[in-house]
Amino acid sequence: MTVEQGVQAVDQFPVGMRVLAVDDDQTCLLILETLLHRCQYHVTTTDKAQTALELLRENKNKFDLVISDVDMPDMDGFKLLELVGLEMDLPVIMLSAHSDPKYVMKGVKHGACDYLLKPVRIEELKNIWQHVVRKSKLKKMKGIVTNGESEGNSDQNGVRANRKRKDQLEEKDEEEQEQERGNDKKPRVIWTRELHNKFLAAVDHVGIKNAVPKKILDLMNVDNLTRENVASHLQKFRLALKKITNEAKQQANMAAANSHFMQMSSLKGFGSFHHSPIPLGSSQFHGGAATMRHYPSNRTFAGMFPHVSSSLPRNLHNDGGHMLQGTPFPPLENLHINSNNKAFPSFASQQSSLLVAPSMVLEGHQQSTSPSFSPHLEINKRLEDWSNNIPQSNVHSEPDALGWNMFGNSTNQTYFCRDTDFGSSSAAQADSLQMKQQHENIFSPMTVAQLLRSSSANEGLFMGQQKLENGFMASDAGSLDDIVNSMMTQEQSQAEFSEGDWVWVA
Amino acid sequence: MDSLAAQLQMKYRNYVLSLYQQGFLDDQFTALKSLQDDGSPDFVAEVLSMFFDDCVKLVGNMARALDQTGTVDFSQVGDSVHQLKGSSSSVGAKRVKGLCITFKELCEAKNYEGCVRCLQQVDIEYKTIKAKLQDMSNLEKQIVQAGGIVPQVDIN
Repeated sequence: MTVEQGVQAVDQFPVGMRVLAVDDDQTCLLILETLLHRCQYHVTTTDKAQTALELLRENKNKFDLVISDVDMPDMDGFKLLELVGLEMDLPVIMLSAHSDPKYVMKGVKHGACDYLLKPVRIEELKNIWQHVVRKSKLKKMKGIVTNGESEGNSDQNGVRANRKRKDQLEEKDEEEQEQERGNDKKPRVIWTRELHNKFLAAVDHVGIKNAVPKKILDLMNVDNLTRENVASHLQKFRLALKKITNEAKQQANMAAANSHFMQMSSLKGFGSFHHSPIPLGSSQFHGGAATMRHYPSNRTFAGMFPHVSSSLPRNLHNDGGHMLQGTPFPPLENLHINSNNKAFPSFASQQSSLLVAPSMVLEGHQQSTSPSFSPHLEINKRLEDWSNNIPQSNVHSEPDALGWNMFGNSTNQTYFCRDTDFGSSSAAQADSLQMKQQHENIFSPMTVAQLLRSSSANEGLFMGQQKLENGFMASDAGSLDDIVNSMMTQEQSQAEFSEGDWVWVA
Repeated sequence: MDSLAAQLQMKYRNYVLSLYQQGFLDDQFTALKSLQDDGSPDFVAEVLSMFFDDCVKLVGNMARALDQTGTVDFSQVGDSVHQLKGSSSSVGAKRVKGLCITFKELCEAKNYEGCVRCLQQVDIEYKTIKAKLQDMSNLEKQIVQAGGIVPQVDIN
């Protein structure tokens, strides 16, 4: 769209904007519909989130904006929010009678453009069209960056063009955007799917140990990308991986705890994590599960984000010290590179949902006080998805995935490989083997070494709970080598497991 | 006839004002009324009818959830309360909404007796406002029948 067209579109936009309204409460839905009509929008309503999804999937171009209630019986509004964001990239506004800031935060983290409290007033609805405009601007900018890459333009038109357009478009919007994201004045690099894939390819190529921004940048061979861009992206990536793996581990731990008595008294709050595929079943982590489904088959960095799923069980018990000490997972917010939840398009769709999922899962988890299999199920399902998408060859090509890095930051963590008979189902076994190859290396240095040798049935990885407790530390640890080495040292020094189920993989 | 209409209008005005003053209705109800126009003349009636249907349903859910032999699932009760809070706030049923807020706290505290009492109050309250709104609606009809126009009541 040219600037002129853009302006015209803005002028016309409020009128006839196509809104999909979702609320299981018929009274509220009727009122909402009437309010929206009064704003001269075109309104479609449904009281089922599932129906809404179907409508959207049928033709995503049919709607400009989605407004959805948070508490719906057939699907959590946050989950719907995520899915819509991922699949259709439409702006979603949340609606709720919950005024609790934590819900608002949750909405924001899941990518909501806005969060309205019931009862909704017409004044609030009169301005929601701004989200549509904003989003389309973002998309345009993304497109520009992508074009910049593909054309290999040397005059830096990609990022600069963004800037130009931004300048030409409303100044105010620009300011708002930048303020919103808390950016400095540099042109923003949007990590599109293509860009992110290149990033992944580069990281994969150099190996996690050598994943330094300079090398990645060189390999990516993208114009208008600075080392700083890559560095910050890499950092976020690592954090994401770490979170994911931590969560996955926690879930595995919980699952393991259910089936095995885990004793990790020697571990200070370390949980073991076993990610064997188990059919998805948790309603607690519905968000995560759903998000996993949509991961494109772009590779992930050597299985780096294998298990986005589950959140770390927050309140794992400490009996016998075999569960991860429950501490809330820090929000995955830092993983969101831009306000748009789809920071990593290709990877993002995998990643952001990965990123998002854990938090969603986490939050759900937070409320639970007992471990349950559900997160595990979630994780496993995700693992399945991942494994299906990850080329096997990656398994042994890299000593470890980025995930190592994340783990490595904590110096108090020990990593254990637990050999458990997780194969509670044959499917699990098959998947676990598959996934193991990809994921094992992520979780523990030892496994990595092991992986390189052969694939065994080891899938347990323990994540340092401590690390998790502190949130995800930025991987400002030195080189990957250091991290891996430190991890290995730690592991080797803590090998006390009283349960026979646990096997030290050394 | 004019004077009858005028009288009815006065009566109506006072009645509506009293509903606001006594905390039965709030701004949201005003907003709701403002959405009604020639294009949708029955909007308010339709919404209220839906709301009261919801009340019946939700109160029933709460009663069932609280009436279990064995452990009461307070989260289930809470879910229904939450929904009632949402719809009551959307129509401007102020007292019902207020009760829902209290009710929610009681659910979270798992205060069984408190919940039961609160449920009874909710039941009374929604029926009360239903009756009052019905009276108001009747007055409106009478005014129109008497040849008058239903006045816009300025709450302030």
